[in-house]
Amino acid sequence: MSGPTYTRLTRERVPRQFTFSAVSAARSSLWLGDDHLLLVDRNGYTETYKRFYFRDIQAFIIRATKTRMTWNWILGIPAGLCLMFVIFLAFDVRGFDAGAITIICIVAAICGIPLFFNNLFGTTCACQIRTAVQTEELPSLCRLRQTRKVLDKIRPLVATAQGQLSPEEASSKMMEAALAEAAKPPVVWK
Amino acid sequence: MSPLIPCPKCQTRLTDGNVNLPGLSPCPVCGTELQIEVFPALFRKVAPVQSAQPVMVEGESSCFFHPQKKAVVPCAGCGRFLCALCDCDFAGEHFCPACLEAGKSKGKIKNLDNQRTRYDSIALALALVPILIFYFTLITAPMTLFVVIRYWNSPRGLVQRSRIRFVLAGILALLQIAGWTALFIAIYTRHH
Repeated sequence: MSGPTYTRLTRERVPRQFTFSAVSAARSSLWLGDDHLLLVDRNGYTETYKRFYFRDIQAFIIRATKTRMTWNWILGIPAGLCLMFVIFLAFDVRGFDAGAITIICIVAAICGIPLFFNNLFGTTCACQIRTAVQTEELPSLCRLRQTRKVLDKIRPLVATAQGQLSPEEASSKMMEAALAEAAKPPVVWK
Repeated sequence: MSPLIPCPKCQTRLTDGNVNLPGLSPCPVCGTELQIEVFPALFRKVAPVQSAQPVMVEGESSCFFHPQKKAVVPCAGCGRFLCALCDCDFAGEHFCPACLEAGKSKGKIKNLDNQRTRYDSIALALALVPILIFYFTLITAPMTLFVVIRYWNSPRGLVQRSRIRFVLAGILALLQIAGWTALFIAIYTRHH
């Protein structure tokens, strides 16, 4: 019996808690199934699957993060310093040191290329998916532009399973829920 | 769970204004830029659990597990009659708890499969990593071949179905074995 077919939504990403561990084998990716989203967490030689059925998805929560800015600083400072050194060496009155300039250019490229791609991919974000019983982080959705593209693919499928909510409708329902919650008597622990 | 969504940073429950907007909007308390997309399931009222009804009429079908309760549906796995209490509705099909458990442990119900071991990755790592210290391949190459043959038909990842890693691992292992064999033959012929 053949199982469900999946379409890739995102490439594999290192979850945020492992970002700085270079040897981490943890990877996460998101796949689109017939009636659900599949979150695949690969850790070395095992894969763990989490399914989010379209009829159960309550919300996507996207939060803009400062990861891009952090990486810009981490990569930008050495790249800038290298550039300054190159200019300094190029106009050095004692002579033109081609070897030193080559080495510094290599270091600048090592920092500069990731810096370029970091800015090319756009704003970083963290995305969560919420169902009635869980709120899960989707580590592979870490760039705002890509997250919106994925949401554009998912939205009609969820709307087919559940129906659609306009911003006004959603806001009024949330206000109702807030009022209902405020009207509840406070819980007193004895 | 409350339908009010908390800000992921400050945990303040957002009451209005931030949902289903096309772009980012700041959290009113911490100012974190958020985009929240909500769906009707957020406001769906949870239906109360249906209790099993007792058998009222003589000869009426009863639950296999609770003979005094009325059967409402047959199990899709074993065909036993189930009452409302024993009926586990899963992806549009009705199962008894035993079939659901068996389906999960034996991997018969694909949608309950939540973990798999990637034997193809293990085989490939076993074939590739010891190349760094070549002497290890004398032991690891046969091990790789064993893994490839033993787990050739085992279920692979849910999303990646090709056997390319197994094939690569097998080829590498065979090459390593061939290399060692050639070396031993060369040593043997030199000594004799």
